[in-house]
Amino acid sequence: MINSDVIRGHIETIILKLLMEKDMYGYELVNVIKERTNNLFLIKEATLYAVLQRLEKKELISSYLGEKTFGGKRRYYQVSPLGRAYFKEMLSEWDMLRKIMFNMLGESNEQD
Amino acid sequence: MNKIKTFVSKLLKDYFNDQDKKELIEILTTSLEEKVDDLVQSGTPLEEAIDKSINEFGDVHDVLEAYPELNKKQEVIKKRKHQFLFSLLGYLIVSGIAIYINFTFIQFFADILWFILILIALLFWPISMLFRYLSVKK
Repeated sequence: MINSDVIRGHIETIILKLLMEKDMYGYELVNVIKERTNNLFLIKEATLYAVLQRLEKKELISSYLGEKTFGGKRRYYQVSPLGRAYFKEMLSEWDMLRKIMFNMLGESNEQD
Repeated sequence: MNKIKTFVSKLLKDYFNDQDKKELIEILTTSLEEKVDDLVQSGTPLEEAIDKSINEFGDVHDVLEAYPELNKKQEVIKKRKHQFLFSLLGYLIVSGIAIYINFTFIQFFADILWFILILIALLFWPISMLFRYLSVKK
């Protein structure tokens, strides 16, 4: 499980990317992140929902009530155009970070 | 579901300003309730579903992960709080010493209760520490 200090600045980017693929509800995001990162990032629900609230407040995402499988409603989140633009910026920052780290540290050692 | 609302309110108790706190409480409560509903739908008894959801949810530090700028502030608040508590302890210890010396050697001091001066003057220390702590806690 990755150190939270390291991942902290990237959580918003990750969530925006997932929501750009499709609208999801909170708990679904927790599971998708767990699977996609091969259990390397096990985001706590408390963290996820707090980030969702911040993103919504910044109007990068919005929420709506959608259908549940068993009936009833559940809150889904979707990206806004502002969110897409923000994600693009974050993506180029990540590219910059990746290049810097690659240049400084070289390729990752899979053998460890 | 009141258990959930209580849990969430307690979680955020000391940490956020009122506007943020209200919105956070709402979204965290709703999300927890949705999870409980899902568990109940798939057969878990209500009480067990509530307990399970609360246990898996995380604590206030996990919520703070979403607020990188607040983390630094929390550390400062903690530091100031410790400085205040230390000053209180120091005040008590020094006062105790002053009182002891004053009364043990009372004849030497011609019955003058000078320890009172120490008690009053030394208040400067914990009071200023308390002020610094409260001004950062805002």
